[in-house]
Amino acid sequence: MTTLMTLPKTGYSSMDDAHLAQHARTDPQAFAELYRRHVRSIYRYHLAHTGDSKDAEDLTSQTFMAALEGIRSFRGTGPYITWLIGIASRKRALFFRGKKPQVPLDAALHLPYQGLPTDKAAARRIRVEQLVRALSTISQDRAEAIILCFFSELSTKEAALVLRKSETSIRMLLSRGLHDLRTRTSFALEVEDE
Amino acid sequence: MNKDLLDQIPAEEQPVASKLNSLAEEMQPSQAFQWDLENQLMDKATTSRPVQGWFKKIMIPLGWGIVAIGGVLLLNWTIRSFIPQIPPAAGVTPTQEVSFAESVRAGDICPGPLAVVHGFTVFLSNPEKTEFTAVDTGTPMGEMRSFTWSPDGKQLTIVGNTMGSGHVLVTDLAGGQVEYLLSNSGVGYLMDAVWSRDGKQLAMWSSQNNQVLSVLNAEGTDVVKKQLDVYIQGTPQFLPDGSGVIFYGADSTSAGLFQMMLEDSEAILINPLVRDGSAYAFSPDASSLAYMEYDQDTGEARLTVENLATGGRSVLGMFPIPKTPGSSLPDTANLSWSADGKSLVFDFGRLATDRAIYLAPTDGTGMIKVAEAAYAPSISADGKCLAYISDRQVFLMDLSAIASDPTAQPPVLLADLPTGSGIPNVKQDKLQWKP
Repeated sequence: MTTLMTLPKTGYSSMDDAHLAQHARTDPQAFAELYRRHVRSIYRYHLAHTGDSKDAEDLTSQTFMAALEGIRSFRGTGPYITWLIGIASRKRALFFRGKKPQVPLDAALHLPYQGLPTDKAAARRIRVEQLVRALSTISQDRAEAIILCFFSELSTKEAALVLRKSETSIRMLLSRGLHDLRTRTSFALEVEDE
Repeated sequence: MNKDLLDQIPAEEQPVASKLNSLAEEMQPSQAFQWDLENQLMDKATTSRPVQGWFKKIMIPLGWGIVAIGGVLLLNWTIRSFIPQIPPAAGVTPTQEVSFAESVRAGDICPGPLAVVHGFTVFLSNPEKTEFTAVDTGTPMGEMRSFTWSPDGKQLTIVGNTMGSGHVLVTDLAGGQVEYLLSNSGVGYLMDAVWSRDGKQLAMWSSQNNQVLSVLNAEGTDVVKKQLDVYIQGTPQFLPDGSGVIFYGADSTSAGLFQMMLEDSEAILINPLVRDGSAYAFSPDASSLAYMEYDQDTGEARLTVENLATGGRSVLGMFPIPKTPGSSLPDTANLSWSADGKSLVFDFGRLATDRAIYLAPTDGTGMIKVAEAAYAPSISADGKCLAYISDRQVFLMDLSAIASDPTAQPPVLLADLPTGSGIPNVKQDKLQWKP
């Protein structure tokens, strides 16, 4: 009975993504570990594109559901996160194809973030919407590079794989995208205000 | 964003980059959303079948279809060759297949009765299992806190409390007459009791004096009180050989599953990750112990079966749980084995509405959710019925149908639960088939 005291932990937490993805074909717990590692990146990716937390949650759900269904098709030729971002990108494209009219900015005050005081939630919502608006005014490639590297936390190498460009191009896109945000949008003013 | 990348950004763009970084940090999905989605993914993963290639998807059913049609035609031809055609007799209707519910009510399967404690009253199902009747209302039993079947299934042992004093009563399968086994426990309000496998000892615990484990002999003539340095917080389970007990408890520094040998009353913490009072159970063949352990470091609640001889552990299923310390964790309750040791069943959740019943085959073929907004599951002695409570009603599921497809057969409403003598509480309700 004293053997009950031995409690080895699951080995998945220390396993890399590629091996986890192999295990995830047959073991849901391996997929759960992958989910926990990347849910924030995918959520932020969608939130930076949509500006709406509910839409971001829906798209995040769709992304991981599709990933679960298609995990067997992940061949491990590239990083798992780039494969996942690929799915997220397709889900986003489908979402914007059938996009409903957006909630006016004023309505944000009446739709608080869960768990936050209304004023903070509204302020956060406004900041996110300002970001989405600013990103929509710069070129798509530059905005996408910024979202991938800043919000989904991809390295330039991973972002290069997703966007099918060289790492140098990604650095260039980032640099120019930041320059555009600073010079052509109100984002820089908000930075200085703070 | 990684720091190396930030360092490569030109100095004039750094403020914008920092702003983006801090905004990204703010953009966190809510814990509730992450939790719900992980649950959905695990549900989907555990219920869906492996995906096959398109060729296999088409060819396997097509192949089986051709084989089946060929088989039917061959069988048809064979029967027609050997059996002369007989016209159906006038007025005779074909025999209908007896339904699952009819078989249960006729007593052909799932032998009863079912006992249930609900609203501080113990009820037994009638032979037809169409209603529940309170046990002997003529005997004063006070608040009936719990019950336990004797190992041979011939007696129902009831834990009652009158004016804060606990007593133990027994009744037969009909519940017609209740007799005192112990009229005063001497330790205050009794919470629950459990028999040893040989039916010679009954262990009891009290909420008022929960550093004492009381052990009563089968005749009810001798109570031995074991003083512990640990607080008992869940119903003890006898070790298979009756030499000790395990229980959920806590001392000044730790909580978890403790083991205590009756001869020395020393309690030893054997698993600090177990955290519920009815989330552990020994297998019928005494070879294994099943428990749910909550590991907040990994964010997992794991249904684990441990082989008592080898110490080998197998995880039959997992649930995501919040990693954040202090977060509200769902409960695991009413963990029990099927009589053949092939399945475990339990309920998991926080409230009555978000509790669900899970069935976990011990061969590791995958835990499945079998009922939502439901709790207090129990598998019949013949392994054919799963009974549970939902919204003050008792339902039955056909376990043979669940094995092939959990969604194929809707549950059968067995009977409404009568109103008890007190306010019902999901965490106190218990349902058990006669062993």
